[in-house]
Amino acid sequence: MAKLSLKFEEKTVKEVPVGNRPVSIGRSPDNDLPVDNLAVSNYHARVYFEGGRLVVEDLDSLNGTFVNDLRVERATLHDGDSIWIGKHHIKVDASGDAPVPWDSGRKASAPRINETMVLDTKARREMLQQAAATGERVQFAAGRLKVPTLIVIGGRTDQKEYMLTNKLTVIGKSAMATVKVKGWFKPPIAAQINQRDDGYYIGPGDKMPTVNGVPITGPVRLNDGDLIEVSGVRMNFVFRE
Amino acid sequence: MRIVSGGVTDLGRVRTNNEDCFRIVESLDLFVLADGMGGEAHGEVASEMAVETVVKACMEPSEAGATQLGTSEPTWSGKTRRLTGAVHQANRNIYDAAEAHPEQHGMGATLTAAWIDGSKLSVAHVGDSRLYLLRSGNLQQLTSDHSLVAEQVRRGILTAAEAEESEMQSVLLRALGALPDVEVDTEEHMLFARDTLLLCCDGLTRMVSDPEIAGTLQSENDPTRAAEKLIALANERGGVDNITVIVVRVGSESRGWFSWLFGTGRRKAASNGAAGGS
Repeated sequence: MAKLSLKFEEKTVKEVPVGNRPVSIGRSPDNDLPVDNLAVSNYHARVYFEGGRLVVEDLDSLNGTFVNDLRVERATLHDGDSIWIGKHHIKVDASGDAPVPWDSGRKASAPRINETMVLDTKARREMLQQAAATGERVQFAAGRLKVPTLIVIGGRTDQKEYMLTNKLTVIGKSAMATVKVKGWFKPPIAAQINQRDDGYYIGPGDKMPTVNGVPITGPVRLNDGDLIEVSGVRMNFVFRE
Repeated sequence: MRIVSGGVTDLGRVRTNNEDCFRIVESLDLFVLADGMGGEAHGEVASEMAVETVVKACMEPSEAGATQLGTSEPTWSGKTRRLTGAVHQANRNIYDAAEAHPEQHGMGATLTAAWIDGSKLSVAHVGDSRLYLLRSGNLQQLTSDHSLVAEQVRRGILTAAEAEESEMQSVLLRALGALPDVEVDTEEHMLFARDTLLLCCDGLTRMVSDPEIAGTLQSENDPTRAAEKLIALANERGGVDNITVIVVRVGSESRGWFSWLFGTGRRKAASNGAAGGS
């Protein structure tokens, strides 16, 4: 059964199961999950099942409800998501019987070399080679550069293909967008793609895009061949050699 | 575009000196942040030299006569070119100073600079300080860390989660002052009304997660107070390093929270935050 755990500063304050009835969250003590904090509205949000999916709905709260780092009015919840309400967060456990390790979204305090140091060219090469030799997940063979590309397969845009060379790609009607969407009633920024160290993440703009038919609730890492749909435009995300 | 900004630097809870340095030049909408390294007081020297060199080069009215270091792309704007050249110059200045003064050998600095011109943003960056963009509730990192662990993640050797646990986080592959020439990351972006920029050093990002950063920026409109809150959060977690944060809010002329912000006269932009702790 799905479970919500109210957390404050890493400590679990209360846990409630989500069954047939909605779980209410708020400052008022008659909520299923009362959160004692002035930043929380009396009846702040509720979580319930709808069509087999767990949904969080903000009840017009003053300070908002956040799923992971995204402010939401309504959002589908996934296992491991965090609902942030004021300084509290609620961990979503939709994994059934198998408990998953709780990723708090906080930085674990890593042991560290205390002083920052810079490697010179030779040391840098050796260190990376050493690391590459011991690593098992080396995906990119040296010398073969893969260029992430958006290929438009439906809808009206100013080009048919876009190579993603920037840290940030904006999809929308705005004249400043990289992928310019044409047509009436299209949003200035429909979606955005951010290049991070471990890949390319699509996130919402004024619209929630879908990836392979599934609406995203926050930044989602794109995989080779993924189908993106937003504002009437369909695109394939591929790595080109 | 109307711009309001605020910046704060803090010693943290462990260090005894502040090697960070930042400057906000309101008249230019220029924001520069550096994190120094190299024992004794030399990290402070390096970070201040980095920031001052970049600010000075950007304030000089004419581009003519200045010998531009480094390469530039033909599509870049004049300001992007000037900013990139300025970072190359800062590298050279720190390197030369370290060569000339043996006791300063090994000093260096990260540098992250953002320059706003209308709706265009120029970014120049070396090291592991960061520039973030918060747009539509979506926090996006506009710089790559030039650290060993980040490079290992880019090559698929480590996962992002493993990198956060690594004891090698302080090992940089690029910094100002280490070599006579440095590769500078430069990019241009278009800004939209209600965008928020965040420049910060690793003293923040090692202590505070992206969702927490996004939440704080969304819950506090005032740039200086948002910066103070982020620093307080990093200190609550232990504050193992100096913490420096610049928050920049981009607004349209007369709509929404922005006009409200101006109406209450809360503008509190720090103009100079040279290192010094709290």
